[in-house]
Amino acid sequence: MRSFGEVWKSTVFQKWIMAVTGILLVLFLVGHLSGNLLIFLGPEAMNSYALGLKELLHGAGIWIARIGLLVMFFLHIRAGIILSARNRASKGIRNAKTEPRASSVASRSMIYTGLLIVVYVLYHLAHFTWGAVHAEYYSYIDAAGRHDVYRMVVESFQQPTIVVAYVVAMIVTGLHLNHAIASAFQTLGVTHPRFSPIIRSVGPLVGAGLALGFMAVPVAILLGLVGG
Amino acid sequence: MKLRLHIWRQAGPSDQGMMKTYDLDNVSEHMSFLEMLDVLNEQLSERGEEPVAFEHDCREGICGSCGMVINGRPHGPLPRTTACQLHMRTFKDGDEIYIEPWRARAFPVIRDLVVDRSSFDRIIQSGGYVSVNTGNAQDGNTLPIPKVAADKAMDAAACIGCGACVAACPNSSAMLFTSAKAGHLSMLPQGQAERYSRSENMVLTMDAEGFGACSNHYECEAACPKGISADFIARLNRDFVKASLGTSA
Amino acid sequence: MELHSHIPSGPLERKWDSHKANLKLVNPANKRKFSVIVVGTGLAGASAAATLAELGYNVTAITYHDSPRRAHSIAAQGGINAAKNYQNDGDSVWRLFYDTIKGGDFRSREANVYRLSEVSANIIDQCVAQGVPFAREYGGYLANRSFGGAQVSRTFYARGQTGQQLLLGAYQALSRQIGLGKVKMLNRKDMMDVVVVDGKARGVVIRDMRTGVIETVMGDAVVLATGGYGNVFYLSTNAKASNVTATFRAYKKGAAFANPCFTQIHPTCIPQSGDYQSKLTLMSESLRNDGRIWVPKNHGDHRAPGDIPEQDRDYYLERKYPSFGNLSPRDIASRAAKEACDDGRGVGPGGKGVYLDFSDAINRLGAKVIEDRYGNLFEMYERITGENPYEVPMRIYPAVHYTMGGLWVDYNLMSNIPGLFVLGEANFSDHGANRLGASALMQGLADGYFVIPYTIGGYFAKGGLSSVSSDTPEARQAVEQAAAKVQALLQINGKRTSQSFHRALGKIMWDKCGMARNAQGLQEALQEIPALREEFWSNLTLPGSGEQLNQSLDHASRVADFMEFAELMVRDALQREESCGGHFREEYQTEDGEALRNDADFAYVAAWGYGGEGAAPTLHREPLEFENVELATRSYK
Repeated sequence: MRSFGEVWKSTVFQKWIMAVTGILLVLFLVGHLSGNLLIFLGPEAMNSYALGLKELLHGAGIWIARIGLLVMFFLHIRAGIILSARNRASKGIRNAKTEPRASSVASRSMIYTGLLIVVYVLYHLAHFTWGAVHAEYYSYIDAAGRHDVYRMVVESFQQPTIVVAYVVAMIVTGLHLNHAIASAFQTLGVTHPRFSPIIRSVGPLVGAGLALGFMAVPVAILLGLVGG
Repeated sequence: MKLRLHIWRQAGPSDQGMMKTYDLDNVSEHMSFLEMLDVLNEQLSERGEEPVAFEHDCREGICGSCGMVINGRPHGPLPRTTACQLHMRTFKDGDEIYIEPWRARAFPVIRDLVVDRSSFDRIIQSGGYVSVNTGNAQDGNTLPIPKVAADKAMDAAACIGCGACVAACPNSSAMLFTSAKAGHLSMLPQGQAERYSRSENMVLTMDAEGFGACSNHYECEAACPKGISADFIARLNRDFVKASLGTSA
Repeated sequence: MELHSHIPSGPLERKWDSHKANLKLVNPANKRKFSVIVVGTGLAGASAAATLAELGYNVTAITYHDSPRRAHSIAAQGGINAAKNYQNDGDSVWRLFYDTIKGGDFRSREANVYRLSEVSANIIDQCVAQGVPFAREYGGYLANRSFGGAQVSRTFYARGQTGQQLLLGAYQALSRQIGLGKVKMLNRKDMMDVVVVDGKARGVVIRDMRTGVIETVMGDAVVLATGGYGNVFYLSTNAKASNVTATFRAYKKGAAFANPCFTQIHPTCIPQSGDYQSKLTLMSESLRNDGRIWVPKNHGDHRAPGDIPEQDRDYYLERKYPSFGNLSPRDIASRAAKEACDDGRGVGPGGKGVYLDFSDAINRLGAKVIEDRYGNLFEMYERITGENPYEVPMRIYPAVHYTMGGLWVDYNLMSNIPGLFVLGEANFSDHGANRLGASALMQGLADGYFVIPYTIGGYFAKGGLSSVSSDTPEARQAVEQAAAKVQALLQINGKRTSQSFHRALGKIMWDKCGMARNAQGLQEALQEIPALREEFWSNLTLPGSGEQLNQSLDHASRVADFMEFAELMVRDALQREESCGGHFREEYQTEDGEALRNDADFAYVAAWGYGGEGAAPTLHREPLEFENVELATRSYK
């Protein structure tokens, strides 16, 4: 029996960490998206939901979630960087000619889309969580005295440049998820003669669905379908 | 037919190496790819130049010796075909063909297209077997093995150890090779006793040899001349984690 | 030279058991004091190296491949025989023994063949335990198929890759011992010579194929498992690197070479397509279970095979040998194909081919069943020829496949040089003048797993082995000779490549010492071979140096030995004035063209002793005694 240190450092275990944290992050995205879509129900739904999140477990809930997310992001990104550096070194000299047969742009660019997502997430947090950028939309208070998340979102996304930034970010995220979801199942060792082909084809669809769902909010606002 | 060949030439392990271009005339469509190289080598030898070193032996697609990246694909353009079984009717007059060695840090080039694949042997030595001394065996029919399991084990056992999976993988990962042997043995009752220690030892040896990690590109599966499925990789992933989390004895 | 077969006395069925009981043992603590050098890592070598290491001996295994898994045993397709009688169809150790003796045309030793049959069942058990994925029936039990030369179903198989799976089983067992540190594995080392000290084999000279360094490995016994010499014909089904050097060098050091003229021509190979052809590809004999062999009945019938009606086809094997039909033994099927082609009724380019037709089987069983049985073979055929055998009959022609001859060994598989053991195809022992299908794998593994582990202990237990080092004069001299040979080859600076010489030699051998031979042709060959050899040593071109990987040098060095060996083979064919098994002398045939054996004068093993540089070899005869079977004319009619 090998020590846990040896196992922890192994490629397969790091891939496992990547897959487990990745799936949890995808589940987080599902939750995040369902919150976002409340915007279509109007200011009341949105703002009370936002307050509810803040007050969950007397304010502890959101911190538990934040710490959890931070740990997942950290492990996911760490494994991604370690593995991708290792993979680059393992190949060494590249052939003058390479003709891929089975890999996709998405699968080959995971480290790039991943790092772009990190940049985007920081921007996104600075925008809506810390109010460090576009601060002019951050400090609205609604009639009930709550943080007016609805107005913050709507006024932000009436700016075309911000919408472009978010749409591009979602395309990148969609690309990342295009490979990520089915790949995670493969890494976790979930195979079945009947279900594996389904996972392989449904994974990219779920990724696309999430990306389109997130894009729907800024695009709808920019087109004046919401908050107009 | 007439061909223009771009071939990787490297005099020795410490040499830098470079692509060199050769023109070859009168290539018959019935020749195998290696016979085409034989003809080139005869011409080079007669001119007093050193022939292109490439590994080959059985020329029947089973020994796993031959291996070269042909126009960017290990073993060339045809699916489930080793370089020795590739025939020139796949190409046409005037084609340019790029011929390069397997690329992986764990497969250092020895000369031209010949690489050192002994890392594969060390993976097997670390656990790719059933520990049974000669003479220990009971009657072969004592343990019935469902045909489906035996067939699936055979699918994995068909691996010829050529290394095309590593060459095709953007990460030079050896997971298809390693998982094929682990999968072959884990499908059979005889392989159960050592199933989890085997998967742990083989994966850790594979890592120590300097192969990359699997990113599920599936290039290996597409390049494998024996069509071994990447499902065996999933199976090894599962067994490895089971082994490391100690749910197995 | 004295040749003692050391066959134990007593009834045939008891010989091996009583021999094992009488062999002295080496106690477990002492085994690690003995070191064994195993050359070759095919079925025989890998299984021997693994088993000897399991017993506790220090083993050094040597291969010229990059990995022990590449040996040509891997290419055997059809299967492995074993007298299990799982099919309840009347098989027994006796029947396998009898089939093998008869199949070998009564030119092998009864005792050796009986032992082979006895241990055949253990081989299957051992391989199953290793995880060899043999074909199974739906109930989970082992499946069998039938094979040429037998009327029972006793062949175990793993799709069309039985050799591969058995070799990987042995390779895995060997790998385990390497991992445990009990076998020292030397890859990419070409064996150049045997070192004989005080009359005993004590080491080998090896050349590192990457660096050119020549050195010795010394030990207490040398096991040669270096395969056959079919590549003397240039075109054969053997792997490109297969060669005679190891056994031929042992011969030059005093080991007797037995029956070199016994070569097997396999009936079902893909015909040659051009001059550039580098090797011939075998299609498993198992195809003859469902394929029917035919040629057009009439000369000059150039219609497409599908357009030739039933009454215009000659299913010649079914016609001539009704009881075995398409499953006649290899030598008979090969010669019948040659006859049909010599008669001008051959098909395909140059008329060198016959049809192997699956249309009846496909109609009877469906394409799916045929695909399950032979799918990979059909694919291989299509890749090579560009024709689809589900639609057009295959074209096949005989090709050199296996060599029954080899170094002479006694019942212990030891040559006449004490301490030099020879296993598998490299020895001559079990197949007589013709080997039955699916018996090569059986013999390789029998020798390695179940014979040598016992007999080598008997040799060690006798004692008398002092320690030797690489510094002994014999070892130093052998190294110098090997280095001189390499230098000599590199300094010729001629015009013609070793490939070209090899082709020329192959053509002489195929034309004059191939499927059919006669005294006149053999005499001509005896003139042509030395002339070609002389040209080789004066006109060879060999680019590159001896200090790095140089595949031309590896090849030239092997061709140099083939050039000498070919002559020995021709001499043997000339002295054997009879037709038996794979050796067909045109002068000795019945009126209807069947082989005419001469038991009164030739029921012996022809063992050749090296006579020295430029001198003729000497022939020793080991009479073959048949106490348990009656010498019958082989009939498959």
